Amino acid sequence: MAELLMTIVGGIKIGAIYALAAIGLVVIHKATKTVNFAHGGLVMLGAFATYEMVVVFEWPYWMAYIAVPVLIGALGALLEFVVLKPLRRADLFTVIIGTIFLGTALSEAYRLAENSELLAVPALFTGPPLLIDVGSDVVIFTREQIWVTLGALAVGTAGVAIFRYSSLGRSMRAMASNSRGAQLCGYSVEGVYGIAWFLGSALAGLAGVFAAPSKGVSPDLAVSIVASAFVAAVIGGFDSLGGAIVGGLLLGCVETLSAAYVSSSLSMAISYFLLFCVLLVRPEGLFPEAKRRHV
Amino acid sequence: MIVVKPGHRLRALIVAGSVWFGAAAAQAQSPGVTATEITIGALGPLTGATSFMGVPGRDGMQLAVDEINQAGGINGRKLKLDFEHAFTPAESVAAAKKLVEDDNVFVLVLASGSTGAAAAADYVREKGVPTYNLYGATPIIRTPFAENVFHGAMPSATDSAQALVDRVFQANPKAKKVGLLVGTYAFPQANKGAVLPLLQKKPVDVVVEEFDQGARDFTSQLLAFTREKVDAVIVMGSFSEAGFAIKQAPEKGLTNVVWVLDGSAVNDAVVPILGDKNPPNVWGYSNTPYFPAQSVAATSKFRELWTHRYGQPPQGRPNIYDLVAYGDTYVLAAAIKNAGNDLSWKTLIASWSKLKDVKPSDLGGLDVVYPESFTETDHQGNRLMGRATIKDGIWQVVPN
Repeated sequence: MAELLMTIVGGIKIGAIYALAAIGLVVIHKATKTVNFAHGGLVMLGAFATYEMVVVFEWPYWMAYIAVPVLIGALGALLEFVVLKPLRRADLFTVIIGTIFLGTALSEAYRLAENSELLAVPALFTGPPLLIDVGSDVVIFTREQIWVTLGALAVGTAGVAIFRYSSLGRSMRAMASNSRGAQLCGYSVEGVYGIAWFLGSALAGLAGVFAAPSKGVSPDLAVSIVASAFVAAVIGGFDSLGGAIVGGLLLGCVETLSAAYVSSSLSMAISYFLLFCVLLVRPEGLFPEAKRRHV
Repeated sequence: MIVVKPGHRLRALIVAGSVWFGAAAAQAQSPGVTATEITIGALGPLTGATSFMGVPGRDGMQLAVDEINQAGGINGRKLKLDFEHAFTPAESVAAAKKLVEDDNVFVLVLASGSTGAAAAADYVREKGVPTYNLYGATPIIRTPFAENVFHGAMPSATDSAQALVDRVFQANPKAKKVGLLVGTYAFPQANKGAVLPLLQKKPVDVVVEEFDQGARDFTSQLLAFTREKVDAVIVMGSFSEAGFAIKQAPEKGLTNVVWVLDGSAVNDAVVPILGDKNPPNVWGYSNTPYFPAQSVAATSKFRELWTHRYGQPPQGRPNIYDLVAYGDTYVLAAAIKNAGNDLSWKTLIASWSKLKDVKPSDLGGLDVVYPESFTETDHQGNRLMGRATIKDGIWQVVPN
């Protein structure tokens, strides 16, 4: 019982990071209809910026939580302006290929700049784990587990609230719903796309800050996070922010439970099997935004 | 008295000339050796999961080569390093062939760990090129014995296995159950094959769990150790794998165990992963008398030298592989020096096999490796291993 509980908590922790990354992916897709395959690269850069601030410059950790999302968000908006704006009239495949190679460029630039297998970032909270008696067993939680889980979920929920209730979110939803109509109502395409990329990339950067202590900083981080975020987003319905959170948590739990009770090396395969099952049974995802109409 | 008739004098001159030209030609044919230069070929991973060995291998060797050349070279010849990237087994064989057959290097250095050393083993044996295996613990490069293959500061898997088992019982003499957390790739597998028989001779139960190279999640393995209530875990893998396993252990209910880390995991880069400058019960062994960050004269000077040559080091550098590559290049230089001016593979192998207690300071270098000795039947240069633990955020060799 205690073992199962610890395993699920471990799954929720990693799932919260996937959820945060998935929300960023969904925000950009909802507002701009672009599937951003460079998202993993932005997560990796977020983790790298955390390393630079916390380890190299020895700044307080809280500064990384504030500055990294702003930096990565600004970089995302800049990439949209420089790379994706000229592709706005191009067909879907061109844009997808553009983001794939943008992601590759970010990873390779990092590889060239940092000649190191892995950069380690310490956890924000260290110290002895918390022991909780559950019947005859003891359940162990680390402070880092609690912080990452609650922190990532809180930020993810705030992101959902901003998109749903603020005027910024309204502009993005309007642009996603009807670009021409939104422009006629006074919304600027450049502004809304820039904001969407800023927000989505900031969430990716923050996912990098949360992921850095448990995964380290390496080019592999880009691929592993974007793959999991993509699966989480698809499970959630791809256009649903709440669905991305549920998809991330579900994916994290399935990965960890399969690692615990089947095999660590099969956890990714089982995640893709979950994705396959969801697409087979409910291709619109678990929480589709668009309602079905029976005519 | 021998009298040479005038007619025969010309014939004698022609014969003497032919002999001289023949000898000169034979000397010129010694690959990688010119009147002014000796080319050392080396291979190792400059990118990928084991670049923590290959990059320091290249950098440490280059430091020693620069120093030796500044001091006048070896018997009047300068050393030149030709380093090829090789990560996979196929790349290692291809790099060895390129260096020996296309680049015509005089001696081949394997700075590649067990995977590359195992892959290149058959080729170097068949070719007979003098080969220095810097890091490979695998028995494939050591058995069968080859007169042209030498091993430096890193001991064989059998020797290091004994050190690992000793560390477990030094830290917890009452250990009854020992976990082995082993990577599925060549180096950890080689060490697993050596550790298991030693543990089976002890009155302990052994629980073996494996992981793939580059793993970051050890849920299933750690839960298995928790269920079995192991007293100690020997980790055979890289520093990042060991670091993340130890870090995740409390989350999986594994607390108060002794951790013993194998060769490449004993690296200062593991400390920031652990997030603790004095983690309790983390032990290992050292192939060098000191760790790179330890405050002793030799390593302090080495760090100065390294920083002067390469600039501010990245996290975890210089590491133990920098030290070994630097120190063992001096050992190789000593073998070349003792072989004299008439350099050939045969003379080098003969001189190398007679080195006794050779150390870098013999040629003006820093003593960052244990003295190495070789015989015609034993090509393992070093068998000493220090007891190591993490103190004040760095690995340190401590008294036994």
